[in-house]
Amino acid sequence: MYRGREGQWAFYLHRISGVAIILFLTLHVTEISSSMFGPKWFNALLAFEANPIFGLGLVGVAALVLYHALNGLRIILMDFTSWGVKYQRQLWYGVWALYVVIGFPMLFAMLGHVFGGGE
Amino acid sequence: MAMRARRFEEAKRLASSNLELAWWIFMRVSGVLLVFLVLGHLYTRAVIFDFHHDLNYDHMVRVMNSVTWKFYNWLLLFLSILHGTNGLRYIIDDYIASGRARAWVKIIVYTLVFLVTAFGTLALWGWNYQPME
Repeated sequence: MYRGREGQWAFYLHRISGVAIILFLTLHVTEISSSMFGPKWFNALLAFEANPIFGLGLVGVAALVLYHALNGLRIILMDFTSWGVKYQRQLWYGVWALYVVIGFPMLFAMLGHVFGGGE
Repeated sequence: MAMRARRFEEAKRLASSNLELAWWIFMRVSGVLLVFLVLGHLYTRAVIFDFHHDLNYDHMVRVMNSVTWKFYNWLLLFLSILHGTNGLRYIIDDYIASGRARAWVKIIVYTLVFLVTAFGTLALWGWNYQPME
């Protein structure tokens, strides 16, 4: 139906972002749950994660999550409306328009935390 | 077997079982809920909260002891784990041709997912967090 065109890119990006997100999710749940081990362990973990590399990693995961969320809504429109499949390509451009509108403020806020002075 | 239907009518026709159709519907329903829960999580934990400077053990104690956040995070944990694991199952079914390898990969993935979910549930509901002295 749309091999090699936007629809296939949308599909592969959805899969790749999904796999990356579930990998991050397992690490994230483990990391946050390890607060059970007490302040000494948890503050040491946070000190290790203070490296901006981890902050940039979070920005990257947030970017994948936003794409997966918006393209997921596009898939639902394709599944449950009579017009979604016909306009799937236009919907994908809509996904990217929303991505920029929502993503840029998020990006600046998160980069502000990672590279700003705090307070 | 996972299916790649693009329409609800098609999904109903292609589903190999009622369970498979239920998973297809679950992915859509949990997906809509997760858009709000995950973006809410990102907004409260990464946008308006300075996670790089203001996150520490005492802050975690307050969040983890809040009943509201316990429910929010538990719902977020369960829906995202189920949605993500079922997505992985579709991908495993699509790309691993050998039935034997597929079975092993699934056993390993489901075991890891179960352990992580149990760990997260214990952290949310089975632990008493004490502030630092």
